[in-house]
Amino acid sequence: MSTQYSKYDSVAFENFSKKILNELTQDESLTMTLSAEETLFSRISKARVRQITNVAQASIDYVYIKGNKTLSFTLPYKAFEEDVDLALKKLKISREWIEKLPDDPYLVRPAFYGITKEENLNALPSNDEMLSGVLDYASHVDLAGMFASGDIVRATINSAGQFHWFKTRNFYLDYSLYNNKQKAVKSLFAGSTWDALALRENIKDSELKLSLMDRDSKIIERGSYRVFLAPSAVAELLGTLSWGGVSMGDHQRGNGSLKSLWEKTKHLSPKFNLTEDFSLGMSPRFNDRGEVAASSMPIIENGLLKNFLTSTRTSNEYKVETNFATDWEGMRSPVIKSGSLARENILKELGTGLYLSDLHYLNWSDRETARLTGMTRYACFWVEKGEIICPIQDLRFDESFYSIFGDALVDLTNYSEIIPNTGSYSQRDVGGSKVPGILLSEFKFTL
Amino acid sequence: MVNLKNLLNSLNTEADYISLRSVHHHSVSVGVRNEILEGVSSSEDNGLMIEVMIDGQIAYGATNSFELSEVKRCAEVARQSALMAKRFGLFPLTHQERPKVIGEYKSPASRGMDHFKPSEITDLLISLTGQMKIHDHIISRTANFSLIETHSHYVASNGSDVHQKIIRSTISLSATAASDKGTQRRTFGDEQSAQSGLERIDRAVLLKASQKIADEALALLEAPECPTETMDLLLAPDQMFLQIHESIGHPLELDRILGDERNYAGWSFVKPSDFGTLHYGSKLMNVTFDPTVVGQNASYFADDIGAIATREYLIKDGLLERGLGSLESQKRLNLPGVSSQRATSWNRPPIDRMANVNLEPGHSTMAEMLSTIERGVFMQTTRSWSIDDYRNKFQFGCEHAQLIENGKLTTIVKNPNYRGITAPFWNQLKMVGDKSTYQIGGLTNCGKGEPNQVIHVGHASPACLFSKIEVFGGGK
Ligand SMILES: [Zn+2]
Repeated sequence: MSTQYSKYDSVAFENFSKKILNELTQDESLTMTLSAEETLFSRISKARVRQITNVAQASIDYVYIKGNKTLSFTLPYKAFEEDVDLALKKLKISREWIEKLPDDPYLVRPAFYGITKEENLNALPSNDEMLSGVLDYASHVDLAGMFASGDIVRATINSAGQFHWFKTRNFYLDYSLYNNKQKAVKSLFAGSTWDALALRENIKDSELKLSLMDRDSKIIERGSYRVFLAPSAVAELLGTLSWGGVSMGDHQRGNGSLKSLWEKTKHLSPKFNLTEDFSLGMSPRFNDRGEVAASSMPIIENGLLKNFLTSTRTSNEYKVETNFATDWEGMRSPVIKSGSLARENILKELGTGLYLSDLHYLNWSDRETARLTGMTRYACFWVEKGEIICPIQDLRFDESFYSIFGDALVDLTNYSEIIPNTGSYSQRDVGGSKVPGILLSEFKFTL
Repeated sequence: MVNLKNLLNSLNTEADYISLRSVHHHSVSVGVRNEILEGVSSSEDNGLMIEVMIDGQIAYGATNSFELSEVKRCAEVARQSALMAKRFGLFPLTHQERPKVIGEYKSPASRGMDHFKPSEITDLLISLTGQMKIHDHIISRTANFSLIETHSHYVASNGSDVHQKIIRSTISLSATAASDKGTQRRTFGDEQSAQSGLERIDRAVLLKASQKIADEALALLEAPECPTETMDLLLAPDQMFLQIHESIGHPLELDRILGDERNYAGWSFVKPSDFGTLHYGSKLMNVTFDPTVVGQNASYFADDIGAIATREYLIKDGLLERGLGSLESQKRLNLPGVSSQRATSWNRPPIDRMANVNLEPGHSTMAEMLSTIERGVFMQTTRSWSIDDYRNKFQFGCEHAQLIENGKLTTIVKNPNYRGITAPFWNQLKMVGDKSTYQIGGLTNCGKGEPNQVIHVGHASPACLFSKIEVFGGGK
């Protein structure tokens, strides 16, 4: 197997696109958005291969407009001649379908948003070499997780002449280590250059953390506790915020979860600053329409709402300004500003309470009051007078965002972690977040 | 249409076993909000998964091209992966886990994609959201339709040959009411995906449902908060579906019990020794794995490794009997299972999944259940859900609830939630509704696996009564 073989290149895609775009008549327009990947996925359990899968796949979303009407379709992109026939056939059907559809009052027409090409294609060792590197080194531990490596493409081209191309080559080992009490620690080793030494350091570090989990777990009674949430736990909270928390459309339609912040009847801590910041370089700045977002945009500044993510469609409907968000209006590259808590002072400042490395299965329990529920997971400890005492039995929390990033926020760490998205529903995700840890004066556990 | 058997024969890949599984999805969806068409979209996806076994090690290669040169390249990549992974294999597979199977399956749907007319569906959805426009407080009214045809073909070097053509559709509605008293949302149909086509559309029924959710969203605005107390909990089938899914379906997946899923969705509180011994719930609890229910969302003939699907009891009279795992997991655990190793599409390897996991009806009418309740609450329609990685501590929120006092349904209350721990909760199952309370449903969005996969499942359930459950409301 070879990572360097690449089916999907920008010239072939551009040439293919032009064959379709050239078929359009004067009152028609089209946007074509490509998602492609060539990935090796290796599912690992007990540091051995459970399933190994090589995937080459690509599809194109087409948004077709005629007059004031629109419809969309998705087709596979095979990088073979037959793609053209398939697309033209579908275009013909779309012309028939669209005739009888009503006008779209919030139509977003394609425009020229420039031409950009970004390729981060570092040479990586072969998949064999990287995967064997992981499995040989980890053979003495119970490691479960996923090793993925390969190329990802996002591109968009439209009939107004714009063309954006983003291609990245990277890998990740998303894993957890287990002891014989079914206790675990979680880690992620990811990048676009391979460093075998760093991989070993990462696993060794996890082993060290796992040794702390050998002590018997303490059952913690329900109630409010002082807690420290590590960056990976904070990233989970942030992920939930993308479900209706920062979307202008959702707030306009009554499904938003930061309504009180929007209406200025509540505010968050002045220490809390949230930005959509593409300088992380993990996500393309262009969206499916090819609109290019600002390289950095504040969402929440000093605890006050600055901008909800707003797509051009939402902008057309509610007469508010667009900031070129995706139609989903979720965050693609969020960054929470760090604070002043130094790593060596975390336990001391926590005093007596809970150190939580990860959270799991979060959901809004009451959107209106921005209340979230979820579970603690992996390395979570009971801490007394600044000292780790023992792991805990997992707890359910149910707490408001206004408390977590508001009244209860004591401090944020002075360091942050970059956490790439490792999701792979249908295709491998791009994007990620950069977040510090947070110290809270109280956090409510209900079960 | 590509002849898959010919393609298999022309590969000449050196392997102990090789299979090809092609999957062709064709779907359309239409969305309307506040009487305005938000989108008509269609999608075609067509690809091939090649499975190669060498010395007991399986590896996969997936491609969306059926060109011989590309398929050969893909098969070779899979072969190389199998050779490489052999040294690190978790367990060796044999031909027993890839039985020869020949057969076909077709959904009972009669009107599929060929009958779809975008303007007809758009008109229908516009009238449904129009029906919800009963008050200025109803600020958002949505109606969505989707139709998906999936045609899979599986051939293997052992002579297996399985065609399955599945047609599914859903229509879902929502009404959001907002005033200075807050925001409330009612939905209909999200959990009713089924193997039926356009013939299932019943305009009169949908208009009535639209009216009902709008009325209820409006009424919820005025309702008091659900009280915080421990009381009897009566759950409607449209909440039971997800309760079954999260606290029976997932913990019984054998690959979770084996630890394959530990790094993602999680492990399970169920241990291999629990099969045949664990009293999962009260004696009234009977749960089946049933891919034979005509028209239910996850009915099929065989799974994606060739195991023929049959109806089996997972839990009988409260006792845990069998897990959700196909031939690979059954061999690893030496436990009975079901035919459930399924992939979301051509681009993913099959893993242990639910299919239709159904709670069988009991003998109590709704009136009989209500009459036994001194103080309780009746909850309907999932709003929020969360459960831990061992599938123990759960919390669910529902859209709508009504108090039950001295055997009668009384005050409507808003933001109802309840929490519990799986096995104790099911052991508090006090009464199980009869056929008259029984509904068949289906979910479209069960997520699991690394790489991630989302799959269709089915659930059916009567209304059920649980005693002494922690119930609470919303707000800070
Ligand atoms: Zn699920």
